[in-house]
Amino acid sequence: MSDQNIIELKDVEKRFGSFVAVSDLTLSLKQGEFFSLLGPSGCGKTTALRIIAGFQDHEKGKITIDGVPMKDIPANKRPTNMVFQSYAIFPHLTVFNNVAFGLRKSRLSKAELDQRVNEALDMVELTGMGGRKADELSGGQRQRVALARALVMQPKVLLLDEPLSALDKNLREAMQLELRRLQQSIGITFVMVTHDQYEAMTMSDRIGVMFEGKLMQVDRPEVLYAQPCNREVAAFIGGMNFVPAELIKEDGDQLQIKAAGFGTLNIDVNPNVRERGSALLIGVRPEQLEIAATKPEGYDSTIEGTIANVAFYGESVHYYVEVEGLTDVVSVAVPNYFHTVDYKSGDKVWLGLQNSSIIDLGKG
Amino acid sequence: MTRFRRYLPGLPAYAFAYLVFLYTPVLLLPVFSFNDGTIVAFPLKGLTLKWYAQLGAQETLIRALFNSLIVGGIAALASTSLGLFAARAYVRYRFPAKEMSEGLVMLPLVIPGIIVASSMLIMFVSIGLKPSLTAVILGHTFLALPFAVSIMKSAFDEFDQSLEEAAYDLGETIIGTFRRVTLPIVSPGIIASLLVTFTVSFDEFVLAFFLSGNQPTLPVYIWSQIRFPAKLPNTLALGSILLLASILLLVVAEYFRRRTSKTSI
Repeated sequence: MSDQNIIELKDVEKRFGSFVAVSDLTLSLKQGEFFSLLGPSGCGKTTALRIIAGFQDHEKGKITIDGVPMKDIPANKRPTNMVFQSYAIFPHLTVFNNVAFGLRKSRLSKAELDQRVNEALDMVELTGMGGRKADELSGGQRQRVALARALVMQPKVLLLDEPLSALDKNLREAMQLELRRLQQSIGITFVMVTHDQYEAMTMSDRIGVMFEGKLMQVDRPEVLYAQPCNREVAAFIGGMNFVPAELIKEDGDQLQIKAAGFGTLNIDVNPNVRERGSALLIGVRPEQLEIAATKPEGYDSTIEGTIANVAFYGESVHYYVEVEGLTDVVSVAVPNYFHTVDYKSGDKVWLGLQNSSIIDLGKG
Repeated sequence: MTRFRRYLPGLPAYAFAYLVFLYTPVLLLPVFSFNDGTIVAFPLKGLTLKWYAQLGAQETLIRALFNSLIVGGIAALASTSLGLFAARAYVRYRFPAKEMSEGLVMLPLVIPGIIVASSMLIMFVSIGLKPSLTAVILGHTFLALPFAVSIMKSAFDEFDQSLEEAAYDLGETIIGTFRRVTLPIVSPGIIASLLVTFTVSFDEFVLAFFLSGNQPTLPVYIWSQIRFPAKLPNTLALGSILLLASILLLVVAEYFRRRTSKTSI
């Protein structure tokens, strides 16, 4: 990855009638990065991708790819290629001819064309499968063909529209790692659209989270998880306990607050928060709470509660704890180290919390 | 589990009788075409193929057949081409007055043929187009269009739009995309539409009768021959051949129409 920007979007806006699909989209993507646009369905992420590809016009704003303004450049002339959600494998052509489709225009000699196509097939581990018909392929193979067909064009940017959503769970997880490895080995910029937070986090260098046509936050996965800019982003990525609080004192990068149930706390200012008032919202990740039968030692804050529900997830156990002063139950995730479920509904427990694991989410 | 009788006891017999009533006349046609006698009545006088053998020697018949092939061929090409583009637009795009336009395209299926025929005759004559094969071709294209549109619509219904986008994305032009992706994928539908629209035109009588002038198509020729009792067995033989050919064409068309839905993945 280099610091040079390959794609720049500035104030891009797209409306369908009175519906604003994408608004004020400003984003710079670096050469060689794996970038994901993450958001719930209907948030405008696919529209944004199609605007970059040239399939969708846009009313306002500017797009440049590798320094060239994309206005008036149609999709078939852009240095981008796309992997479609349905893969769009041409059903009347063999695997070889699917991959060779875009090269036929480029007047390569037959030997060069064969070589390029075979290299692309090797890259996606479909060596020797060129003769297969499209309807003889499994879901995973179709996806590889779609990848090879796009990559053989040597695009500056590869666009992927929910590329793994049609695969079953095991294959999807294997392909996540493989796509990531492929992207790193060829070094071109990938822009992926997904609604799956885990997919986005495992594969991406950076993630842009979109809600209702607006880009909320762009950051590395671990920053998004640790310092989400607001409640929506925090709720969309991972589990989160939300607790209302009041601001007592703001002191540099420290906030003194009074949180419902937990009492007075000193927490770090979250640099991603844009708005802050006297009413605040804080968040605590379920896995960062300690749960114990007796009052735990060494925590900045402890609180008593009653187990309302237990959910066994396999790799972890989730306890849902009722705490006086809080309307929502507090969710606590405990890694399943010893194959035991230690508490049951109705048990009295203590929760322990460090100030450093409390996330400031700004205005409540 | 109890099987419920969900129908009245007489219904299967009624259905059988109905089919007999419907198809006996059609079956009588080939039967009498082999009869060694000019009077169409039982008992048959013996079997012969001479009525078939004589067909080849009748010059006006051959000319009428040729006319029908030309009209059917051109009308099939024209209505299928129009149907192809119309169907793609109907399936892919939303545009003002789309429902009305679809309804209008389908209208020839329900307007009485005699009305269409007489109004077309009046219109063609008033714009200076004399009754001729050209007039029949125009009329038949109009008549066959609803068949072409509905067959092509079912072909496009199964067609994933991102296939065209993928081709365009890979650097093809809009026309190249149509030629290299759209056309091959809907080609079974195109073949089915060509066969069906050809059959529609080939069998059509009323419009052809009004518009063909002194260049009769085959159905018009057959009608003109029915008045001469001596020629009747020839007409029956010809009719039997047409019957067989129409059934064959429609079976082949149905085969291709079903293939359309299978090829899209």
